[in-house]
Amino acid sequence: MFIDGLVGLLGRDRVLDHPLELHVYSRDSSVARGHASVVVFPKSTDEVAAVVRLAAQYRAPVVARGAGTGLAGGAVPSEGGVVVSLLGLNSIDSVSAEDRTAWVGPGVINLDLSRAVASHGLHFAPDPSSQSACTIGGNIANNSGGPHCLAEGSTVNHVLALEVVLADGSVITVGSAAPDPIGFDLRGLIVGSEGTLGIVTRALVKLTPNPPDVRTLLASFPSVGAAAGAVSGIIAAGLVPAALEMMDREMVQAVENWLHAGLPTEDAAILLAEVTGVTEAVEAEAAIVARIAEANGARTLRMAADDEERALLWKGRKSAFGAVAQAAPNYYLHDTVVPRTRLVEVMEEVYRVAARYGLTMMNVFHAGDGNLHPLIAFDAEEPGMLDRVQAAAAELAAICINVGGVLSGEHGIGLEKRDLMPLFFTKADLDAQARIKEVFDPTSVFNPNKILPEGSRCFDLDRPVPDGAWV
Amino acid sequence: MALNPVLRELAKRASDTVEGAPPGALLVAPQAIADLVEVVARADVDRTSLLIWGGGSHQGLGNRVDAELVLATSRLNALVDWQPDDLTVVVGVGMKVADLESRLAERGQTALLPEHPGLATVGGVVASGVSGFRRLRYGPTRDRVLEVRLVTGDGRQVRGGGRVVKNVTGYDLPRLACGSLGRLGVITEVCLKLSPLPEATMTVSVEDRNSAKARLYRPLSILADQRGSYVYLAGTRAEVEEQVARLDGSAREGLHWPPDPDGPFRFSLRVPPRLLDEACVRLPETWEWLALVGVGEIRIGAPGAAGATEARVWAESVGGALVVTQAPEAWYQEFDPWGTPPPGTELTAKLSEAFDPHRILNRRRLPGGV
Repeated sequence: MFIDGLVGLLGRDRVLDHPLELHVYSRDSSVARGHASVVVFPKSTDEVAAVVRLAAQYRAPVVARGAGTGLAGGAVPSEGGVVVSLLGLNSIDSVSAEDRTAWVGPGVINLDLSRAVASHGLHFAPDPSSQSACTIGGNIANNSGGPHCLAEGSTVNHVLALEVVLADGSVITVGSAAPDPIGFDLRGLIVGSEGTLGIVTRALVKLTPNPPDVRTLLASFPSVGAAAGAVSGIIAAGLVPAALEMMDREMVQAVENWLHAGLPTEDAAILLAEVTGVTEAVEAEAAIVARIAEANGARTLRMAADDEERALLWKGRKSAFGAVAQAAPNYYLHDTVVPRTRLVEVMEEVYRVAARYGLTMMNVFHAGDGNLHPLIAFDAEEPGMLDRVQAAAAELAAICINVGGVLSGEHGIGLEKRDLMPLFFTKADLDAQARIKEVFDPTSVFNPNKILPEGSRCFDLDRPVPDGAWV
Repeated sequence: MALNPVLRELAKRASDTVEGAPPGALLVAPQAIADLVEVVARADVDRTSLLIWGGGSHQGLGNRVDAELVLATSRLNALVDWQPDDLTVVVGVGMKVADLESRLAERGQTALLPEHPGLATVGGVVASGVSGFRRLRYGPTRDRVLEVRLVTGDGRQVRGGGRVVKNVTGYDLPRLACGSLGRLGVITEVCLKLSPLPEATMTVSVEDRNSAKARLYRPLSILADQRGSYVYLAGTRAEVEEQVARLDGSAREGLHWPPDPDGPFRFSLRVPPRLLDEACVRLPETWEWLALVGVGEIRIGAPGAAGATEARVWAESVGGALVVTQAPEAWYQEFDPWGTPPPGTELTAKLSEAFDPHRILNRRRLPGGV
């Protein structure tokens, strides 16, 4: 039997199959639910490979899992099968301060890595709000972002090489510490593939120098439009701040009730801007940000006086999702990106949709990237509520795509947005993606039915070859 | 097989129609994507082997392509959509890098494409996966390709990515297309992320590049050649002046990039950045080189082939590569332009086959003859 085989590989204590335990591993931080058949805790690449080979024999789906903080259902075992927890592969194998790189296991917690390399004056740049819990492996699977990816780019910009277990149980290392590895960029393809192409068992990540100086500004505005206007103004002025974050009043109030971070609760929206670099640069840039905020009608403007105040402001921002718990037992967090210039009109639409569906909507987002995070607080016990929430979410996605946006900026497609993919891609586009999946995983062992909607790989090319008279 | 009569009808002798095209070759230069689809689809039916041609700047890269017809992208050169306030631009791949950068500069922006483009097209740069000197600060070109549209070897029009600066919607086709050298499809249009041009720039000649690097916070670029080392700074006026003051060196206004090393043989040596000094010491004295400090790339111009094998053996032993970027045609038969195929070459071959089942596009171009 499959489970006996797994016990033979890993020992009884690293195989879970009690219903209560399985329940925990049947979900992540999204609203999606699945059913794990068994959960395993390998400690090495070889063990992961052995589990994959055994699962292939039994045709059991393999769902890789980090900390389970994903918001799109990427780690939910929707088709059953074995959940492979990678938390046991959590060593930082080597750090090269000269190359500014580190080889790490996928189970290393994001913030732990930055702490471990702090003595070298370095950090791992992607900083999702969940960074004290989420793993590097999860960041890689979802190509995670965070506030500071405005200037630093998402996870894929910070991954140089990957050791990957493939569907046949073989192990390859793609990418290198040397620049521009030859051949197709398989490393770039695997980052963000949500565990559907292979299981990452080690990663060579790029580390970023800590900035010598930083200024963090907090401005409040009489309207969301005014705050968004300040964002556009800052980008248009030729500034790319380290972070440019916005929260609306509803969200600020939720955070303040919980955390008392000293955020202004009277105004319609707040903007948190951070500039980093040498002192001369951050002083000049902070002055420009302040000037643009004022020109856009900022009601209050303050600069964090010290690291402590800065940390508190960031805690206010990063705790937003936790703070929602006092408003309602469940929340649905959206993640779309629109061109930055369309921010204001899209926000107006977002509020209209919320009103029409009678939903409590709060907004916290990476304004500098145009990355929206409308958050719907609700009670899933209320009959019909989840359907309403999901209908509103689908409508929001369509609105964003209509203005040239995309379905997800940093959370992934997973289960949550899989069926919305045809809103954004043509049949030929989806077919091309399905071909990629097929090359890596012909029998769909890895995380089946994620990212691509059913029937993606059935595009028939209706190809007339007319005799054109063009030259 | 004889060339399809329709393709033959469309084809012209190259030299008079496309600047920089190979002399004497039969060439088609579609003006619209629909026309390009038609050429590729017809070539696919007839198994006609095509060589994709932008500006010709990077044709020295990779295995030689035995093609019956050259497919030039030079007429797909429209500035499709430029949103200065979003810092994004969409261009037809045939647009010359120099033309795009000069347009962008009008509004104080840059796509950070290579600084010595010559006739290079945007599509050529993306397909070849090459980057400019400013990658030390801003990362490689592939970090800025937001969306690609391509025509696959069997004539399908496929888009991946999106026109926003942050996107995880579906597999990262733009990444896969960067450096794919035509083996995935003919790239027809790309959306690039832009950056504001800095207020002030300065070039500083320094004695000790490593101590300069240690004293600075994220300089734009640090280059070194046989004559010296150069630090490039960009930012606000005060910031640049402060950084100059940290260095003992002679500073000049502006960015004065050294030329790329020339010679009948040109290579790109790639090693982990910490090994760059060692790599420079190992190069034959007759080679001209230009090293990208902190990046790990050395661009080389050599009078002959002597020393290439030794340099490659060492580079591969430290996890790097020696890649031929230009050489006399005959030499490609003697010396593999890539070296040892990397792990994953089998996957690359299968991916390529999934997009170009009859291997009509830039056949054999990639490592391992993929």
